[in-house]
Amino acid sequence: MFKKLFKIFGPIICAAILVFLLLISPLNFGFGHINKNVQKDAATSLEAKVVKGKEVKEQALNDNYVAFFGSSEWSRFDPMHPSVLAQKYDRSYRPFLLGAKGTQSLVQFLTMQTVTKQLKNKKAVFSISPQWFVPEGAKLDAFNYYFSPLQATEWILNEHNSTMDRYIAKRFYEMLNSSKDPILRQSFKDVSEGKDLSNFEKSYLKLRHRILLKEDRFFSTLFISKKNQLKIRKCEKQLPNNYDYNKLYDLAGQLGRKQTSNNKFGISDKFYRKQIKKRVKQLKGFQKDETFTKSPEYSDFEAALEMFARNNTDVIFVLPPVNAKWQKYTGLSQKEIQNAVTKLKFQLNSQGFHHIVDLSNDGDIPYFMTDTIHLGWRGWLYFDSAVRPFLENEQKKPNYHINEQFYSSSWQNAMVSQIKNFK
Amino acid sequence: MIYFQPYENPMYFGVLFIALIPIIVLILNGRRSKIYESIISIFFLFLTFGGPSWNQGVALIIYTIYETVLTFAYSAYRKKANKSWIFYLAVFLAVLPLTLVKISTATHDQVQTLIGFLGISYLTFRVVQTIMETRDGVIKNLNLITFLQFLLFFPTISSGPIDRYRRFEKDYNRVPKQDEYLEMLKKGIHYIFIGFLYKFILAYITGTLMLPELKTMAMAQRGNFLGLSWPLLGVMYVYSADLFFDFAGYSLFAVGTSHILGINTPMNFNRPWQSLNIKDFWNRWHMSLSFWFRDYIYMRLLFMFMKKKTFKSRITAANVTYVLNMLIMGFWHGLTWYYITYGLFHGLAIVINDAWLRFKKKHQEQIPHNQFTKYFAIFLTANIVCFSFLIFSGFLNQLWFSPVTTPKPHVKLK
Repeated sequence: MFKKLFKIFGPIICAAILVFLLLISPLNFGFGHINKNVQKDAATSLEAKVVKGKEVKEQALNDNYVAFFGSSEWSRFDPMHPSVLAQKYDRSYRPFLLGAKGTQSLVQFLTMQTVTKQLKNKKAVFSISPQWFVPEGAKLDAFNYYFSPLQATEWILNEHNSTMDRYIAKRFYEMLNSSKDPILRQSFKDVSEGKDLSNFEKSYLKLRHRILLKEDRFFSTLFISKKNQLKIRKCEKQLPNNYDYNKLYDLAGQLGRKQTSNNKFGISDKFYRKQIKKRVKQLKGFQKDETFTKSPEYSDFEAALEMFARNNTDVIFVLPPVNAKWQKYTGLSQKEIQNAVTKLKFQLNSQGFHHIVDLSNDGDIPYFMTDTIHLGWRGWLYFDSAVRPFLENEQKKPNYHINEQFYSSSWQNAMVSQIKNFK
Repeated sequence: MIYFQPYENPMYFGVLFIALIPIIVLILNGRRSKIYESIISIFFLFLTFGGPSWNQGVALIIYTIYETVLTFAYSAYRKKANKSWIFYLAVFLAVLPLTLVKISTATHDQVQTLIGFLGISYLTFRVVQTIMETRDGVIKNLNLITFLQFLLFFPTISSGPIDRYRRFEKDYNRVPKQDEYLEMLKKGIHYIFIGFLYKFILAYITGTLMLPELKTMAMAQRGNFLGLSWPLLGVMYVYSADLFFDFAGYSLFAVGTSHILGINTPMNFNRPWQSLNIKDFWNRWHMSLSFWFRDYIYMRLLFMFMKKKTFKSRITAANVTYVLNMLIMGFWHGLTWYYITYGLFHGLAIVINDAWLRFKKKHQEQIPHNQFTKYFAIFLTANIVCFSFLIFSGFLNQLWFSPVTTPKPHVKLK
């Protein structure tokens, strides 16, 4: 009987032991090294697995890549896109695009966890959309889609009961799907209440972290999409051989004009045809009541800022506009956007984040936006002309002083007239 | 506390395996502890229907009490008398909760969330079958514990396979011999591992990696005549593959787990993509469901039509019954045009198939029959089935009728 039983269960037990040993062993089996081409694809692929992983980003940022935090804007590739310009004109830096549809401050905070060493005393770019700052805050489904247990365990094993840690733990506990990793979720609850992690939680999280790290090393570089790299190469071909701002500005205008012929909003033809044309009537005035002044996102954003401050990362913040013609049509109030911008600038400046590129009033420049809310052609060129000197030239060492009031609900809900109280 | 959908992740299998060890040891020693088995059943039901799904758990308990009382009341009545209308009433009452859930799902009201729970269809199939066989007189004495174990058998609770009471009872009340059980264990483990391949690798590739991309591409071309495009053809094949790997994988887990528990739950799939025709397909695809429909709907309807001589010809009676049978299956899937069309499509396909088989029989000499025609038949059947699954998927509904999505600036998820 035992012989037969061994025949049935033996292979499973052996396989289980081998997999376990493989996952916790210190050896990398040659998976540690990442090919430069894979790095290049990963920097522009915008895939969730890149956002959620570690190894690829770590190695790229150790090279000449610079972290570009943001969201869906990065997917608007045209010849003036920062990745295209950096590649074409062989700049000293290459953007590593972090973010895609739906990544907001909480996801950015998580993304930073696995590359803290690489952010230390380095530069970074952060594109921040006022549209994130809606009253309900980050979307649950987007958060859960981008939530990376690897990054979360990395953070929680390093937390030390600061206001930021408790705030983040509370947010993660609220946002994370209850069916996902119950022990990790319980440890969020403990940290949010200021408790120490239990020994069981600690050893579980350490083991889990170790296994996730290994999984990331083995699998995260497989099947990275080359789609965007191919788009970039096509875009590169349309650019003149030497960088000349005025020439590029004209080219941006020509390209924009050619590609926005089927609508009166200056939205690119393809986007308009696919997303708007059929419902254009219903969309009139649909954003009349949008507000961006009260949102938990302000505190989520603060956590991202504190991470930058802890690592002494020199960050340039870009605040893009909304397509002005479209904005007028949907009734979105420019005053609301400006309120959010004022609040954000206050939050940044008062804590020592002084590199701010405010494009929020430029949505009416022709061919500035490629669609409703995303930069394109001339917008990208403006972006580049601010970001490039920041990255290429030596900057004064930043001096940050974090103000924990920005984690409070009174800041989240503060009106513009009240911001002076948060000095 | 941790809660699971059945077979959803490695942790479930870990817990399952540990819970099964005592049962394996006991059966190998020629014993069966019904008490331990009941505790394990309740434990796994709690993992699925507790915590965040507690309202489903309450619905399950109320439903179980209701159906048990109904079945035992009918069984008690049947020992004394056998009036048709009482039988029909009992079946009607047994199907009533499921019917209400299906109607409320279609009308989007709240009944669904009040009385619905994961697996209600499959429990209903088991109850109806028990009542019908009680009427036939083949089930004479219902045992409460056996009935509850049969109804709530945790490996098959959420999506079958649909076992039969008498078959289940036979396995449940005996202990397999050691050699026989070792064979079952071997098969069980084998099934579960094939299930891993199907569900966690192949269904992941088709359903999670490929299907969303293809759907987006097909949606982008919805302006075409009827939305026809190459990506739509891709959706059809990939959806069909995904449906198969997902469901066959799940069924393999259920059958494999049953085997380890010493219960020979019937298989649900038998190489459906090698079917020679549509009828053959239904003998190979979701078999426990199609055999249930065959035995308790098709046969009984046909018998009734023949007895009452509703139709002049046998063939017409059979055809009408085929269409009715598949139509009822379509309605059971849900009250939407695509499920009903799917049912009707298969009903008509079987009618055509039957006519062709009769024609073929009459003209045996003229119609060639060789390897090529065999493979052609397999190819044709598979494609017809895939087309029917495209209807079933509801994607056409989305393609043709869903409103164009509103590009809200802050909605940034795919």
